[in-house]
Amino acid sequence: MNKESFNRRDFLKSSTIGVGVLAASSSPVSIMAKELKKDSTKNSLPAIDVLVIGSGGAGLRAAVAVRKKYPNLSVVVVNKGMPSRNATCMAEGGINGVIDFENGDSNKLHAYDTVKGSDFLGDQDAIIKFAKKATEAIHELDYAGMPFNRQKDKSVARRFAGGAKYERCNYAADKTGSIMMHTCLDEAITYGVQFLLDHYLLDIATNEGECEGVVLLNIQNGKVLPVLAKSVILATGGYTRVFYNRTSTPFNASGDGIAAALRAGLAFKDPEMLQFHPTGVRNGGALITEAARGLGGKLINNKGERFMSKYSTRLELAPRDIVSRSIETEIRLGNGFSKGMDAYVLLDVTHLGEEKIMNELPQIRHVGLLFEGMDLVKEPIKIRPTAHYSMGGIEIAKFDDMSTHLAGLYAAGETSCASIHGANRLGGNSLADAAVTGKLAGEGAGEYASKKKNFSSGKHAKELAKQWRAKIKDITNSSSNTSEFYDLREEFGQYNWDNMGIFRTGEKLQKHIKILDDIWAKYNNIKIANPNMFYNTALIEYLEFGNLILLARCACLAALNRKESRGAHTREDYPKRDDVNFLKHSLVTLKDDKLHIAYKDVVITEFAVEERKY
Amino acid sequence: MKIIIDRFDGVKKYIQAYILDINEVKGKTLLALLQHIKRTQDISLNFTSACRMAICGACGVRVNGHSYLACDTKMDDLLAEYDYPDTFRISPLANFKVLSDLVVDWEPSIENLRKVKPTITAKDEFSEKNGCTQTQEEVDTIKKQWDCILCGCCASECNKLEADSSDYMQPFVYTHAFRAAYDSRSKDSLKHLKPAINNGLWNCVHCQECADRCPKGISAADDISNLRVLAMKKGLKKGTGPAHAEAFLLDLENTGRLNEIYLALRSEGVLANTTKIDIAYNLMKAGKMNPLHIFGDDKIEGHEDLIKMIKAARAANKE
Ligand SMILES: Cc1cc2nc3c(=O)[nH]c(=O)nc-3n(C[C@H](O)[C@H](O)[C@H](O)COP(=O)(O)OP(=O)(O)OC[C@H]3O[C@@H](n4cnc5c(N)ncnc54)[C@H](O)[C@@H]3O)c2cc1C
Ligand code: SF4
Ligand code: SF4
Ligand code: FES
Repeated sequence: MNKESFNRRDFLKSSTIGVGVLAASSSPVSIMAKELKKDSTKNSLPAIDVLVIGSGGAGLRAAVAVRKKYPNLSVVVVNKGMPSRNATCMAEGGINGVIDFENGDSNKLHAYDTVKGSDFLGDQDAIIKFAKKATEAIHELDYAGMPFNRQKDKSVARRFAGGAKYERCNYAADKTGSIMMHTCLDEAITYGVQFLLDHYLLDIATNEGECEGVVLLNIQNGKVLPVLAKSVILATGGYTRVFYNRTSTPFNASGDGIAAALRAGLAFKDPEMLQFHPTGVRNGGALITEAARGLGGKLINNKGERFMSKYSTRLELAPRDIVSRSIETEIRLGNGFSKGMDAYVLLDVTHLGEEKIMNELPQIRHVGLLFEGMDLVKEPIKIRPTAHYSMGGIEIAKFDDMSTHLAGLYAAGETSCASIHGANRLGGNSLADAAVTGKLAGEGAGEYASKKKNFSSGKHAKELAKQWRAKIKDITNSSSNTSEFYDLREEFGQYNWDNMGIFRTGEKLQKHIKILDDIWAKYNNIKIANPNMFYNTALIEYLEFGNLILLARCACLAALNRKESRGAHTREDYPKRDDVNFLKHSLVTLKDDKLHIAYKDVVITEFAVEERKY
Repeated sequence: MKIIIDRFDGVKKYIQAYILDINEVKGKTLLALLQHIKRTQDISLNFTSACRMAICGACGVRVNGHSYLACDTKMDDLLAEYDYPDTFRISPLANFKVLSDLVVDWEPSIENLRKVKPTITAKDEFSEKNGCTQTQEEVDTIKKQWDCILCGCCASECNKLEADSSDYMQPFVYTHAFRAAYDSRSKDSLKHLKPAINNGLWNCVHCQECADRCPKGISAADDISNLRVLAMKKGLKKGTGPAHAEAFLLDLENTGRLNEIYLALRSEGVLANTTKIDIAYNLMKAGKMNPLHIFGDDKIEGHEDLIKMIKAARAANKE
């Protein structure tokens, strides 16, 4: 079969739509079938009304939102693996949203805490809307079957999360993310959303200022596939794997969607804002959730001191950036245990007692056993801050529909930057972000697709696909040393940690720009010695790594130019926040292989800028 | 130490051995070991993983024939479990289509989940605007099942799937049907129960392997039993399944142990069972059924209590 003649029928066949399902199922699929019949004459490319890339909380909520509001549109969710493997399922602590308005809390207070948490880099118009929608999202998830823990009065159970004045972090044991993601996945499955598993987004195709579709790599057989779409939603998660060897996020958090958007001409907003979580296990950075501190966990140094009292009156419940810096400072002062990359402090929850730990923190107890061989019930565990969340992402043009500056392209969740989190994201706000922005993007992309009459010709998608075929052939057909590639990735992670990690200086960042250029040059000379295109995971890792290098270069450029300290971004040579010069967002773009930086004002509406004290 | 891996390059199957120093093995998780092999010896080795902390379900594989989550299995424990062997055999999960090396195809599983409509339809008193209410006790009845991470370990061990997958789904699919059917917020448990019945609910042979191997301690076998109880309660008694259930009870009353071969004969008749000989053969071959059981078996401990429980349950059902 000629590659170009791969038509929509083949496309649908290759997605999970078996013949039996076509025959058996109800409305959603018959619409797909109708679509099938309509097509086939002149247009040879597969075409889908709304294409969602990524199936974390954001992507799944988007897909369901389209199906609910625009049942006549075809929706396909593309994912580079099985849909349930993502960062969303790893979230432990909980999801923010005020549901108890009786005891003084309000959406406005949630918004204020978020603005303050963001170190005033959050856009207040978006945040105020977000807080209101977060309340709605909790009820919607409950209605969709999410089994939250419950209070005595049968309402959803909530607890404190860092940086919040009220208990508004709703939870399901310490597996809130897993349970939320499976709720969303079940809902998508039930609502007839179709899935295209094992397909990797390579690039976005644009035509005259409009998104015409995407280019995918079918991982199962190595075929490069241009696909047309009336609208595309990017929900591919964050890029925290730039800190390859010390992060709490999954291996697939490689920022593919953001990199593709950059290549398509869009701006990467606030790329330097990478959040560190104070408590990762010392080995590799897997997460010990904030709930451990929320429930009363204590941080202890080598003198046996509960050292957080030196840094914040809120002790362990201060926001993440403050706690992370405090731990690193203790380690620098020689108050940690061990040295270098191995250094750590202790997190103690033993006083909570076995029953409470087993009931409310079973997952993190397990993590302690797995990575450190330590039982939290019996002894404090070794921890060190770990890269955790990407506040930066694709610039959003309008929060209400999560549209980008490219018509037809939408973004949601960690991939997007509607500036809800500014310079620092509060615990529990990112699941809420995924739920809220996912739904908005779904409705926005649905509306756009329902108004658009025809698909584009696909000229650019075909052209891009051709380039990718050549490139992939070149990468995989040569020979190279196996470990070379993995060593470079390891080195990359270590350099990023050392030069662009929790403490930054102009000097280190200047040097780092050069280092990243070198790594980029080396990377481009590396080949993958495996021409077998059946599920070539090394090729996928190679492509992901390329995206990570691009995004790290953006982050480094923006970090070098932001000569102030704000939220997660700490410049030791500029320790103060500088509202005169930097109360604005960084925007990095890519043109002719070069990076450019520009700035944009922060939107301030209701809350006056003030010093951030806890 | 020798690690033998079952390979598949998309066209042909073969095995490959990797030789490692014992120090390269110790202290690692099984996932870290696979990554180490890929990194230092063979970039073409394919497997999947994402979270490396036992929550995403990506890394299920078999070691010496049994399923494990690679990221959740320490090599030191494996060595001890198998009495310090000099070889391990690593294979993809069984009862899935293999795509490449240790990577399997999840598409059919998603379509199976679709059949049981895993999302509840909330009762009329609830709304999308205000959510639902539920007591913690009600959450607790379905809490365990929500731990399922779709790793496939249960399916890999399932005897029924191994014998014949044409009229059966992966164990976790029934677990998903259970959690929807038993949710107190749900308006209509039949929506999930009926497709479960129509897609093999009564074909489970109750070997308990799924429960044995689930890394999250979920028993799909129990969920299947409970769905059957619900089916009987709702009066869905047609077909071989419920007859099977009666025979099942009789068995338990007689010996306290399930006699698989008798059970099959009694509930479906000899004729229908001639088609099942190959199933029995497969089970015996896999060491999962003792052919001598056809001659009956000793009573198991606690049998009296079991009879009492069955009687009590029957009495309760009549009320
Ligand atoms: C350990 C941990 C704990 C956390 N705890 C909390 C918490 O308690 N509360 C909270 O609010 N937040 C928490 N977070 C953050 C939160 O989980 C994430 O920010 C959020 O879930 C992101 O959702 P998402 O849908 O945007 O992306 P993801 O869930 O990461 O989904 C991205 C999807 O895109 C797919 N994808 C990526 N690239 C491609 C490509 N090229 N082609 C095709 N598909 C692709 C991926 O496979 C994945 O399925 C935590 C995160 C981690 C890692
Ligand atoms: S008990 Fe049933 S579902 Fe579980 S492994 Fe045995 S046959 Fe399969
Ligand atoms: S029931 Fe257990 S073994 Fe089966 S898929 Fe779910 S978590 Fe895995
Ligand atoms: S990698 Fe996620 S369960 Fe093992």
